[in-house]
Amino acid sequence: MRAFGRFAIFTAIATYFLIFMGGLVRVSGAGLGCPDWPKCFGRWIPPVSINQIPAHIDAATFNLTLAWIEYINRLFGVTVGLLILAVAIWAIARYRSNLRIVIPGVLAALLTAYQGWQGSQVVSSGLKPIIVSAHMVIALIIAGLMIYISIQAYYRTRTDSGGKYSKRSRLLTGILLFAALTQIIIGTQLREAIEITFSEFPLISSTEALSQSGGLTYVHAFLGIIIMILAFITSYKLLSRSPSPLVWQSGWTIAGLGLLQIVFGIILFLAGIPPIARLLHMWISALLLGVVLITLFALGHERSAG
Amino acid sequence: MNPGRSYPKMLILIVIAMLVLGTLATLVVNQANRSRSRIPMLRELTEFELIASHNGEPAGPEDLKGKICVYDFIFTSCMGPCPVMAVNMGELYRLYKGSGKIQFISISVDPERDTLEALNEYARLQGVDDDGWIFLHGPIEKVAEICEKQFMLPAEDLPGGHTTKFILVDHLGRVRSYHDGLSDSSMEILQNNIRQLAKELP
Repeated sequence: MRAFGRFAIFTAIATYFLIFMGGLVRVSGAGLGCPDWPKCFGRWIPPVSINQIPAHIDAATFNLTLAWIEYINRLFGVTVGLLILAVAIWAIARYRSNLRIVIPGVLAALLTAYQGWQGSQVVSSGLKPIIVSAHMVIALIIAGLMIYISIQAYYRTRTDSGGKYSKRSRLLTGILLFAALTQIIIGTQLREAIEITFSEFPLISSTEALSQSGGLTYVHAFLGIIIMILAFITSYKLLSRSPSPLVWQSGWTIAGLGLLQIVFGIILFLAGIPPIARLLHMWISALLLGVVLITLFALGHERSAG
Repeated sequence: MNPGRSYPKMLILIVIAMLVLGTLATLVVNQANRSRSRIPMLRELTEFELIASHNGEPAGPEDLKGKICVYDFIFTSCMGPCPVMAVNMGELYRLYKGSGKIQFISISVDPERDTLEALNEYARLQGVDDDGWIFLHGPIEKVAEICEKQFMLPAEDLPGGHTTKFILVDHLGRVRSYHDGLSDSSMEILQNNIRQLAKELP
C-alpha cells in the first residue's frame, strides 16, 4: 500500500503540472497551434518546416512555436493519462476490496479518457469559451479524485490520530470548499465573458473588457475577499487544535494560497490581465481546491479513526 | 515538536513550484508572442522563367533568390488601376533603391502589345534607372498559369481583369503576404513586412 500511495501522490502532483501546462497553452494563445487532432498538421511529430504542411491545411496557420506548445501539452496529457490508468489498474489488481480506492480510480481513468476526447472538441470548436471551461473543470475533478485516492492510501499506512478538531472546523472547511467551487465557476464565467468581449472587440483594453463583464467582476472580487477571510479563519481553527502533520501542513497552505490568490486577483485587475498572472491565478485556485479537499478528507479520516 | 509541524513544507514547495513554473511560463509566453509577430510562409514558388525587358534575358524566382521581391501584374496601356499601382510600386522602388536588397517585378499580362521595347519605355516613364524594378514578358498562357498556380490569384479576362495585388516573396522564394496595390494603408503594411523580412536576410 505504501508504494501504491506514493504512486497515487506522484500522479496527483503530475495532474497538477498538467493543469498548469493546459493553462499555459491557454494564455500563450497556442490552443489552435495544431489545427487538427490528435495529429498535428497531419503528423505525429509536428512539422518543423513549412514544406511539411499537407495541402489540405492552410499553411498560413502554421506557427512552429505554437504548434509545439500545444503538442507538448498533448504529449504530457497522454503521459499523465497513462499514469492515471496505471493507478486504476493497480487499484483493481491489488485493492479490489477497498471500494474507496477502486471506484475513484476507475472513475478517474474513465474521466481521463473522456477528457482526451473532450480536448479534441476544444480544438475543433475553435476554442469555444464554454468548452474550454469544461476542459478545466473536468481536469479539476480528475485531480480531486487522485487526491482522494492518495489520502485513502496515506491513512492506510499511517495511524495519525486526529487533533481535537471541533465540528465547527469541519463545517468551516466544507463551507470553504463550497465557496471555492462557486468562486472557480464564477471565475470561468468571468474569463468566458472577457474572451467573448475580446473576440467581438479585439482592440478593447483589458480594463474596458473587465467593466464590460458588468457585475461579475465585483461578485468575483467580493467572494474572493470572503474566501480569503474564510481561509484564514479555517486555517487558524485547524492550527490551534494540535492537528496531525498533514492537517497542519494543509492549514498553512490554505492560508498562504488564500492570500496569494487575492494578490494575483488584484494584479489581474490593476495590470490589465497579464498572461502569467492569469495562469498562476487559475493554478492557485486549483491548488487551493486540492488542499481544501485534502483537509476535508483528512478530517473525515482522523475523526473516524480517532 | 513533531517533524511534520516544524515548517510549512507543503506551502513552501508550492510557492517554489510557482516561481519556477511561472518563470518558465513567462519565457514560453514571450516566445509565443514573438512567433506571432512573424509573417507566415504561404507557399514556395517553383521555378518559372520569363524575359526581362531591360536585358532581354530570362529571369525567374531562382535568379531572384537572395533578394526580397515584390511582384505585381500590369500592362502598359492599362488605364484602370495600373497607373495607381505603378505610382505605389514606384514609391517603394525609390524608397528601397539604396539598399539593393529589395527587388520589384512587374509581369505584363498583355504580351501582344507590351513588347520588350514598350516595357522599357514604360519603365523609363516610371523613373526606373536601374535593375531594382524589372519588367517581365512571356506568352499569355504562361503568365496566366504563373498568376494562378504560383501566386494563387485569379487570371481571368486578361489583360483587363488582372489582379491588383502586390505579392511579397522572401529571399528564399516563399510567398509571405498579399497587399492591395491600390490602397495606401495596405502599402504601409507592405513596408512593415518588408522591414520585418529584411531582418531574416542572412
